[in-house]
Amino acid sequence: MVEGKLKPDQGLLYYLIKEIRPELAEQITKTKTIETMIVGLGRQGTRHAQLMMEYGTNVTCGVAPGRGGTKVHETIPVYDSAQEAINNHPNIAVASIWRHYSTAKDATIEVIKSGIPIVVLISEFIPLKDVRDILVEARKHKTILFGGNTPGIIFPPEGIKIGMLPDIFQAQIVGEEVGAKGVTILSRSGAILYHMSDALASAGIAQNGVLGVGGDGAIGSRFVDLVSLVMKYEETDLVVVAGEIGGMQEELLAQDMIAHPEKYPKPLVALISGANAPEGKTMGHAGAVIAPGQNYGTFNSKKETLEKAGATVVNHQRDLIEVVKSKLGKTYFEIEDYYNRMRKKWDAKSPEPTWGTLITNVMPNNLIIRGYPLQEIIARKGLLETAYLLNKGEFPVKQIAELENLALKALKDELFNDYNILNETDVAKVIGTFLLLDDNLSSFAREANDESKVVAYALGRVLKYLTKFFNNEDKIINLQKEDVSFSELIYLGLVGEIPSDVSKIKLLEAIITACVDHGVTPPSAQATRILASTRANYEVALSAGTQAITDVHGGAGQKAAEFFLSVVKNAKENNKDLDETAFETIRETIKAGKRIEGLGHRIHTQDPRRDVLWDLSEKAGYAKECVAVSKLVSDAFYRVRGMNLPINVDGVIGAIIADMGINPKLAKAVFVFGRIAGLTAQYYEEINTQPQMRRLAFDRAVYKGPSIREVPQN
Amino acid sequence: MRLYEYEAKQIFGKFGMRIPQQIAIVENIEQLDDFSISFPIMIKAMVLIGGRGKAGGIKKAKNIDETKTIISEMLKLSIHGYSIEKILLEEAVNISSEIYLSVTTDPATFDIVIVASASGGVDIEEVARQNPEKIWKKIILENVKELPGIIADEAVEFLVKSDSNLMGSENQLKTTIQSLYSAFQTVEAKICEINPLIVSEDKNIIAADAKVVLDDNSLYRQEPLLKSIGIDPRSKRHDISEQTIFEDKAYRIGFPYLDLLDEPEKFEKEKDKLYVGLVPGGAGYGIFSIDEVVNVGNRYFNGKVVPINFMDSGGGPSLSKVADMFHLLMDHPATDLIITSRFGGISSCDIFIRGLIMSLRDRYTKRKRMIPIFGRMVGTDLAAAREYFEKAKRETPEPLKDLHIVVGNKKIMADVIKDGIEYGFKIKSQDGIKR
Repeated sequence: MVEGKLKPDQGLLYYLIKEIRPELAEQITKTKTIETMIVGLGRQGTRHAQLMMEYGTNVTCGVAPGRGGTKVHETIPVYDSAQEAINNHPNIAVASIWRHYSTAKDATIEVIKSGIPIVVLISEFIPLKDVRDILVEARKHKTILFGGNTPGIIFPPEGIKIGMLPDIFQAQIVGEEVGAKGVTILSRSGAILYHMSDALASAGIAQNGVLGVGGDGAIGSRFVDLVSLVMKYEETDLVVVAGEIGGMQEELLAQDMIAHPEKYPKPLVALISGANAPEGKTMGHAGAVIAPGQNYGTFNSKKETLEKAGATVVNHQRDLIEVVKSKLGKTYFEIEDYYNRMRKKWDAKSPEPTWGTLITNVMPNNLIIRGYPLQEIIARKGLLETAYLLNKGEFPVKQIAELENLALKALKDELFNDYNILNETDVAKVIGTFLLLDDNLSSFAREANDESKVVAYALGRVLKYLTKFFNNEDKIINLQKEDVSFSELIYLGLVGEIPSDVSKIKLLEAIITACVDHGVTPPSAQATRILASTRANYEVALSAGTQAITDVHGGAGQKAAEFFLSVVKNAKENNKDLDETAFETIRETIKAGKRIEGLGHRIHTQDPRRDVLWDLSEKAGYAKECVAVSKLVSDAFYRVRGMNLPINVDGVIGAIIADMGINPKLAKAVFVFGRIAGLTAQYYEEINTQPQMRRLAFDRAVYKGPSIREVPQN
Repeated sequence: MRLYEYEAKQIFGKFGMRIPQQIAIVENIEQLDDFSISFPIMIKAMVLIGGRGKAGGIKKAKNIDETKTIISEMLKLSIHGYSIEKILLEEAVNISSEIYLSVTTDPATFDIVIVASASGGVDIEEVARQNPEKIWKKIILENVKELPGIIADEAVEFLVKSDSNLMGSENQLKTTIQSLYSAFQTVEAKICEINPLIVSEDKNIIAADAKVVLDDNSLYRQEPLLKSIGIDPRSKRHDISEQTIFEDKAYRIGFPYLDLLDEPEKFEKEKDKLYVGLVPGGAGYGIFSIDEVVNVGNRYFNGKVVPINFMDSGGGPSLSKVADMFHLLMDHPATDLIITSRFGGISSCDIFIRGLIMSLRDRYTKRKRMIPIFGRMVGTDLAAAREYFEKAKRETPEPLKDLHIVVGNKKIMADVIKDGIEYGFKIKSQDGIKR
């Protein structure tokens, strides 16, 4: 099986670029890649960008006005204008344009003016007057313009396609290598292009380039502009053009062949359609009309002039195969291998739809954030640094002071005061409500141009809510100490004091950091993303995500803390060891039909956050009885139920919080607090890389209710 | 979209060109009573095709009786297949010289081209062939909005040189040429033509005829213009001769379709021939597949195969549109066999096969006529299409028993067509035996 490809600077596309922009071609010989750009990111543009990349095209960036700064297919940057794209990626050599006909002209002219040598204009139904404006500009810049209304261009040896052509085209194969030789095909119609390549491949004839010139009546580069150019490319052995009735492109080509035979050193075979078309009727292509009495545009006028110019004209697939075969006298690959390659496509399973995330890779027993294992982040980095990493992909270098200042400012800025939280017990609901009410956060998020600033400010705000929730507002206001760090303020806000032992401050921050993110699947992340997909405000989407954190998801720490405390208390009261008491308590709890909180995980059998938190609690002197119970609870559970249920991060946090002797409600509070960092990253990734109103698993919805019935009278 | 002469003239009038006074547009002689007419007048059949004069579609009348006779005769005419529904009555102008003037698109370079000749009033292509020196032609390179005076002057100079009778009308000629150009650019026409442009005895320049073909692609932004001449901008005018019922149906559903048989609803089939309907993919292959069916028929079946339609089923048709394409051909009395091809580029094999199967299941349940289908699908979304097709065959084998779709390109389309036709003849002969 041949897997390789021809080097880009040996193929026909490179040759075309070199003919008009030698300096750009020079760059390609250095970079060894041909950069392309996609203009117009509607449904078709976006979908075919993906298919082009899968085929092997280097899609460097996209252009969509109003979407500058976002990404398409998760990683491809999008710019507001072609010029901006070129400024950032000066080596772009090919652009495809997928804009609606009402905006195609401006987009195309902008691309041409930016100096890109090869422009593929997919858009159809462009007004003729607009096409003329485009052509004026294209001539000025010597642009090779394919289209409008072209399916695109494809270069099988290099594995590059620009456009929407199906993946059926075949390159030459020499031993185990891909070769550059073959026939070059040009066609006005897309489907004919495919049918011709298909016919030739069935006879072992490779295509080194397949070029759709466009089906419209007025197009950019015509046969007469392109055929002599591709004949100059030494690897092209023969050129096939597919023409059709209407217009005079074929006649022009023939006239040029007669006037300048030296420009046409290779054999030309023309397949002309429309021998049996009725006169006076307009066929689907704007160009394909036969008007009575014209001396061009008919099947016969095309056939006769082309034959006079030395081309062979055919009108049937089998004739095409026979003529090309006899003119070449060779094949380019084993036909049987070709059918084997194609069979893989016929038999391929349809791909499941996917969407990518760059934030967190969730694997059993491993959590990797932006490439870094979470347990190492917990051990070595602070909350703000981790929040920055989640949102920007790298750790902050110089930015940390600014983040710290933003978080401190957020802590100082006014908070809506009329929300009475005295009777609220659910910390997630309190934070969610504060988020919705927070005008300062709302305007900060709208005005900030950088998600790393938003997340720093948001963390400061959430700390402010928590400080209020845990009644520590006065302690922050009355603080005498200068130069207090955000880490210290976290401790003060949540617990009500600043311990002298730094390892305690570090421990609480580490617990929060352990909760920052768990990929795209947790309900809190999904709730945030669904709201983000409707382009809801940041604080609204974050509130939704926060309120998805319940006992079922992320909120088990509080109950786990209470459970560990009860085990310790029982052991002391009954003077029994922890192991036995844990076993008995679990047995009684299960008997009463209740859950043991803090055990079990959907994905991890050994939670990657467990050991690092146990270690840090040890260092801070907080690994006491509850932590001890947390280490043996899994075994005790096994004795009751015969099932392995590992301790999860909620359980570990609950145990440490319990040993710290602080309010068990803090266990859920730290989870929500930490998760603010991750939810912010989820929100911005959705906004910046995914289409609005993204279709989430539409196909899986099945209605199973009653079938249609009549509404009862009264 | 081609405009009727009276509409084109109204447009030219808006651009400051002088046109004969339009008296009425009538559909029958009774309507004449509503107008007071000063004779002589010109009576002109409003059809969207040239060559009316020779076909009797343009007459002069000196009084009302003559007018009535001419109109009732004219309403019976059919000009190149176009029936006459509207007749324009306008002021007759006396003629001193006839000029040809047009602004169109150069078919070679797609630039604007202006053509002028002092030999107007006749078939200009004939003049171009016989006496090319009598034609002045200028390509406008920059797609400018207004015609530079210097070019108009050049045209005027040529015209005056060709016909000294035009001397003294230079200024009027120049403005007319510039106005016509301006009209062409402003209304976004493909063709603006005046033949003849008349110089009257009192030296007025009058557009005695007018032809305007608008660019269908720009109609969406020409709404004010279209409304001003009484055309509903949202209903694209169908400007081929007379639509067959199937053409009309396809037009309403929204896909390009043409019958290749004349009057297909009344068509008498020849017993030994096989009539093939085509659902071929894009427009280009739509044209080519007609050739392929004829070629295969001529080579292997003694020329006894007749393609019955052109269809552009490409682009990205919806499920129901795909189903309608097959319904249309299965409702067509001529169809013996349907050949179909889906080479998915922008369009999806999946939507195609779902639509096709939807139509067959629907017809089967409603006991409508079923026609054997031969075809092939390759390209975009093939995997999903194949899975759906296989499942559909298991679930409802009966409606799909005469559906022969090759999945993938194990056979080239020409061979699939050949197989289909062979099968079609086989079925036809079996049916013959049964009867």
